[in-house]
Amino acid sequence: MPLPLAAASLAPGLTLAMTGIVKTFPGVRALDAADLDIRAGEIHGLVGENGAGKSTIIKILGGVYARDAGDILANGEVLAGGAAADMHAIGIRIIHQELNLVDHFTVAESVFLGQERTDRFGGLAKRRMRREAEAFLRDVLECPLDGQTLIRDLGIAERKLVQIAAALIDGKARLVVFDEPTAPLAAAETGRLFNAIRNLKARGVSILYVSHYLGEIVDICDRVTVFRNGRHVAVLDAPNPTRTDEIITWMIGRQLDDLYPAAAVRTADGIEAEPSFAVERLGDGRSFADVSFSLAKGEIFGIAGLIGSGRDELVDGLYGLRPPATGRVTRAGRPIRLDPALAVQSGLVLVPRDRRRDGLVLDLAVTDNINLASLDEVSTAGFRRERRANARATRLADLLDIRPRSVGTRAGLLSGGNQQKVVLGRWLAAEAEIFLLDEPTIGVDIGARAEIYRLVRELADGGATVIVSSGDAAELIGLCDRIAVLVRGKLVEIVRCGEISVDGLIARTTDAAGQRVAS
Amino acid sequence: MTQSSFVSTLGRTLAGGLIGGISLLALAAGAASAQDLSLAGKTIGVAVVGTQHFWDREAFKGATEEIEKLGGTVVPTDGGRDNQVHANNHDVFITRKVDAVITILGDASVDPKLKALKAAGIPVFTVDHLSPEAVNNTASDNYFTGSQIGILLAKAIGGKGKVAVFNAFSGSLQFCGVRYDLWKYVLEDFPEIEIIKPELAEVFANSPEDARKQTLALLEQHPKGTLDAIHVACWDQPAIGVVQAIEEAGRAGDVVVTAVDAGPETLEIIAEKDSPFVANIAQQPYLIGKTAAENVARHFAGEKLLSQTFVPVIPVDGPEEAKRVYKQLGYGTIN
Amino acid sequence: MSLAISAPSSRAWLAGLVSHAALIVLTLLLAYLALRAPNFLDAQNLTAILRQSAPLAILACGLSVVVIGGGDDVVSGGIDLSLPAAAVLGAGIISYQLSVAGSGLGTALLFGLPAVLAVGAANSLLVVGIGLTPLLATLATSVAVSGLTKLITSNRRINVSNRAIDWVRDGDIGGIPASMLLALLVFAGLAFLVHRTRWGAHLQAIGASRAVASLTGLPTRKSVALSYGLAAAAAAVAAIAILARGSGSSPGSEEPLLLEMVLATFLGGAFSRRRIVTVWGALLGAVLVTALSTGFALLQVNIFWVSGIKGGLILLVLVAAALDERLRR
Ligand SMILES: Nc1ncnc2c1ncn2[C@@H]1O[C@H](COP(=O)(O)OP(=O)(O)OP(=O)(O)O)[C@@H](O)[C@H]1O
Ligand SMILES: [Mg+2]
Repeated sequence: MPLPLAAASLAPGLTLAMTGIVKTFPGVRALDAADLDIRAGEIHGLVGENGAGKSTIIKILGGVYARDAGDILANGEVLAGGAAADMHAIGIRIIHQELNLVDHFTVAESVFLGQERTDRFGGLAKRRMRREAEAFLRDVLECPLDGQTLIRDLGIAERKLVQIAAALIDGKARLVVFDEPTAPLAAAETGRLFNAIRNLKARGVSILYVSHYLGEIVDICDRVTVFRNGRHVAVLDAPNPTRTDEIITWMIGRQLDDLYPAAAVRTADGIEAEPSFAVERLGDGRSFADVSFSLAKGEIFGIAGLIGSGRDELVDGLYGLRPPATGRVTRAGRPIRLDPALAVQSGLVLVPRDRRRDGLVLDLAVTDNINLASLDEVSTAGFRRERRANARATRLADLLDIRPRSVGTRAGLLSGGNQQKVVLGRWLAAEAEIFLLDEPTIGVDIGARAEIYRLVRELADGGATVIVSSGDAAELIGLCDRIAVLVRGKLVEIVRCGEISVDGLIARTTDAAGQRVAS
Repeated sequence: MTQSSFVSTLGRTLAGGLIGGISLLALAAGAASAQDLSLAGKTIGVAVVGTQHFWDREAFKGATEEIEKLGGTVVPTDGGRDNQVHANNHDVFITRKVDAVITILGDASVDPKLKALKAAGIPVFTVDHLSPEAVNNTASDNYFTGSQIGILLAKAIGGKGKVAVFNAFSGSLQFCGVRYDLWKYVLEDFPEIEIIKPELAEVFANSPEDARKQTLALLEQHPKGTLDAIHVACWDQPAIGVVQAIEEAGRAGDVVVTAVDAGPETLEIIAEKDSPFVANIAQQPYLIGKTAAENVARHFAGEKLLSQTFVPVIPVDGPEEAKRVYKQLGYGTIN
Repeated sequence: MSLAISAPSSRAWLAGLVSHAALIVLTLLLAYLALRAPNFLDAQNLTAILRQSAPLAILACGLSVVVIGGGDDVVSGGIDLSLPAAAVLGAGIISYQLSVAGSGLGTALLFGLPAVLAVGAANSLLVVGIGLTPLLATLATSVAVSGLTKLITSNRRINVSNRAIDWVRDGDIGGIPASMLLALLVFAGLAFLVHRTRWGAHLQAIGASRAVASLTGLPTRKSVALSYGLAAAAAAVAAIAILARGSGSSPGSEEPLLLEMVLATFLGGAFSRRRIVTVWGALLGAVLVTALSTGFALLQVNIFWVSGIKGGLILLVLVAAALDERLRR
C-alpha cells in the first residue's frame, strides 16, 4: 500500500551523470576518475569495500567537497558550480552516513535545520514546523515522534529517520542519496524505510542507495554500480539475489568462500550448569524488565529485538551506562558491579554501538588507536605483554584490511567503515573473558565482515563468552549459538540457531510487537 | 575656575606657617567636649570604600566604634576598594531604612546614591567626600597638608631639581584637588624646581604593585641625575611601591619620595635608616571617623553643624619624626 | 545482592544531582537570603537589584550570543572576554568627549559607540579570519583595549553630568528603571535574533557542531563573525549603562564585570531544559548574580567572601556542566 507523501507533487526525477571524478586527500586518492550514472526515477545501488570512495563521491554530490577534476551533468546540462547551495537548488538531497544532527535540538528543529519555515515577520514558525515534522515522520516514515523531543533522547534509528525526514520534507527532492541508511535500523524499520524509498520512486524521484547489505541492494535497486579503490569497476543491470556473488567478486576482487564461520563446538545443554556470566531478573524500571539468561564459556549469545524492544537499553544496562533498577549480574557465580570504568579490570570488554563517538581518538594515528587497549595493559602487566598485544593488534589491522594502512593517517580521516574496523580491532585485541559487542559490523564491508565473524568465533573457541547485540537477523543466526528474543522489554524466548531461519527470527521479533515486515 | 582661586587665596594665608593648623586643632578639641551625646536607639549605616588600606580601615573603625559607644547600631558595608560596589552598597541603607549614613571616601558615582538617601529622608554624613547632599563632611585639613608637604619636599631636594608626581585623582576627588593644588602652589615659589610632564596616574586598587612598575619605567626614562623626587599627591599607598622600585633600581640616595597620609606602614618605611621616603603628612583617620560619628549625634541632638569639620594633621620630616609620630598616634614603637 | 544494583542506581541519582547542582545551590542561596537578609524582598530592594544589574545583563546577553555560536566548550568554544573592556572603553571615550573635550552627547556617542564595535570587528577578524582560539584572542584584545582606555582617560576617573545620562541612571518608565529597559531592549533584540529567526537557528547549530553545520551547508564563518559583532553592539549599549551607573568612567571597572558576566552567562545554561546557554538564561543569570551581591551586602557578609562565593559558583557551574556531559554518556 503506497504511503502518502506530505508534498502532493514532487518534481520529476533527475538524470545525473558524473564522469571522471577525481578527489585527492593528502596521501590518498579517494576517487580516481570514477564514473557514476543515475537515470531518472531509478533506484541506483552503489557498493564497494570500506574506503572505496562511496562517501567521497556523495559528498562531492552534496557540495561538501569540491572535486579536483571531472564533470557532472544534471539532466544533460553541465553543472558549473558544486557548492552545497547549487546542489540543493537542483533538488539533490543527501542523507549522510554520519548523523548530522545536533544533540540538544528538538526533532522539529532538526528536520527543518537549514530550511526553516518563517512567519510573515521573519520569525520562525515554530508551531507549524513542529506540526509538519510530526506529520511527515508519522505518515511517511511511520515513526510517530513528538516534535519537541530532544535528539539526545532518541535512539540511533530514530535519529536516522529524523535525518531522512529533514532531507525530504520540503518536497523538492529530485535525487535522494542514502549513504548506508539502514546500518542502525532493525528489520521493521528497514521495511518502513524501503516503503518510503519505493514511494519516492513511484513519484519519479531518482535515488542513489549505498549499502553494505547486498541483500538490500539486490532487493531494492534497479541497477548497481560497484566501486573499488576509487574507481567504478562494474555496472550491473537488473540485480537479483542470484547475482550477489558476482557483486562480491567485483567488490573485493576475489571470491568469498563463507561469510559465517563454522562453530568448532556448538554448545551442548550441559554447560549451563557452570555459567561464566549470568543475568538474573534484570530490569531498568522502564524499557525492559525481568531479563534472565546464563551463558557458558565458549558460547556466542545473540540478542535480537526491534527499536523499542529494550535491546539497546538492556545492552546499555549491561555496560553499566544506564543503571538497572532491579536484578543482578554475576560472573563465575559472584555478583559484579556494572560500571564501564571497572569493566576492563574485571575482564569484560565492551564494544559500544556508537564507536565513532565512544571509541575512536579521531586525532590519533590509526596504529595508535589500535594499540590503545594494549597501552593500557602496559601499566598492569609489563613490557612483554605489551609486545604481544602489539603484535596481535598489527595482525588484526592486516586481517581487517584497514585502508589506508599508512602509519600517519589520522583516524578521523578514514572512511566510516574503516573507522569501525580500527575500533573493533582494538577491542578484539584486548585479553578478556567476556566480550559484549553491540552492532559489531555496522558499516563494515562484506570481506572484512567475514574476518570479524571468524575472529569472534576464535575468541569463543579460546574459551571466551561473547554477547552480540544486533539488528541484523542473518548475522545473529550465522554467528551465534543461541539468541534471546526481546519484545517490548520482555525476553520472550531463547532460540537455538540451528533451529530457526532468518525469516523465523524476524517474525519472532516483529509479530508479537504487532508489526509486520513490510515488502 | 572659582574653586582654584579660592584655593590659592587660602593657600596664601596658610603658607605662612602652622598657625592655621593649630587653630583648627583647637576647634576640633572644643567640639568633642560635649558630654551628653547619644545615638541610643538609632541605626547608622557606615559605608567604606574598602578595608584593605590602613586609612580606610581606621576611619571605618573610628566611626563604628564611636557609634556603638554612643549606643547606636551599625549597619556596615565594604566596597572592596571598588567605587562602583561602594556606591551600590548605599542601596542597602535605603532598604534597611537606617536613621543616618556615614559614607567614607568614594568618587562621584556615590553622589546619585547620596541624593536618593536624602530624598528618602536619611541624613548623610561624609568622610573625605564633598557632596551637596551631605549634612557635613569630616576631613583632614587638606589645605595645610598640601602646602606643608610642598615645603618639606622643597627642603628635601634643596630647593631645586626635577620632581615626578603621581596624581590620578585631583580631577575627580575634591580633597585630592586641594592637596595637589596647594603643593604645586608652594613649589611655584621655587623656580628651580621643575614638575615633570606628563604626570603619572596611579590606580585605585592594587596601587603599590602598579606604582612599582610605573616607577621602574620612569627611572629607566630618567637616568641618574635627571630625577630628584617622586611625590604621591593624595595618599601614600602607591609610595610603598615607588620606594621598592627606587631601591630595586639602586637609586636610593638619588631620588627622594614624599606623600601624604602617613599610616603605620609608611611611617615604618620613613623611619628606616637612609630611606628614600623622606617626608609625609600624618592624618588621624581614626579621629576623623570618630568625629563623623559624633557629628551624627550632634545632628540628632539638634545642633547646627558647619558643612565642614577639619581634623588636624601632623607633618613628618625624616626618620626621627616618623618614630615620634608613630608613638604619638598609638601605633606602637619603632627602634 | 543489593550491591550490584545500588551502585548503579546511586549513579543515576548522582547524575540528576550534578545536572541540577548549580540550580540547587543558587536556589538555596537565594532562599537563604530571602529569609535572612533584612528587607531582601522589599520592592525598593528589588528595584535596586534591577537597576544595578543592567550593565551586567547587557554584557551577559551579548556574551551568550558568542557562546551559542561558538559552542559552550569552556576551552575551545566561543567566548568573548573583551566585552567588559570594550564597554568600559566606550564609557571612557564618551566621558572624555563630554567632560574633557566638551562635546555634546551626540558627538560623544558618535566617537564612543563605533570604538566598541571596532573591538568586535577585531575579534571577528582574529577568531574567524585568522582562526585563533576565542579564549586567547579575546583575552588579548581585552588587555589591549584596557590599555587604550587608560591612555584615553589618562588612567583617571572622569565625572560626567548630562541630563540624558542622568535619566538612564535615575529615570524609569512605569516603575521599570530606565537602565533595565535598556537591558530589556538588548535582550529582546538578541533573543529574537537567536531564538526566533532562521539565522539564530543556524547559529545554534553551528555552535553545537561545526561538522553538522557544514554537512547541512550552513554559512559558519559569516554567522560566527556576526555573533562577535552583535556581542560588541551589546557592549556598546552596556557602555551607556556603565557610564550612567557610575556617573562617569573609572579605570578598572571592567574587572569585576568580567567574572560576573561569565558567571551569569554560564549560570543561565542551568535554567534551560536543554542545558545550553541561552539569551534569556543570561539575562536571568545576571539579575540573580546581582541579587546575590545585594543580598550578601544586606547580610553584611565580608566583600571578599562574596567574591569567593561567586568564584565558587562559577566553578560549580562549569564542573557540573562537564560532569553532566560525562554522566550522560
Ligand atoms: N577528509 C578526508 N581527508 C583525508 N582522507 C579522506 C577524507 N575523507 C575520506 N578520506 C579517505 O578517502 C578514502 C575513501 O573514503 P570514503 O569515505 O569515500 O570511503 P567509503 O567508500 O565511503 O567507505 P565506507 O564503506 O567505509 O564508508 C578513504 O581511504 C579515506 O580514508
Ligand atoms: Mg562511507
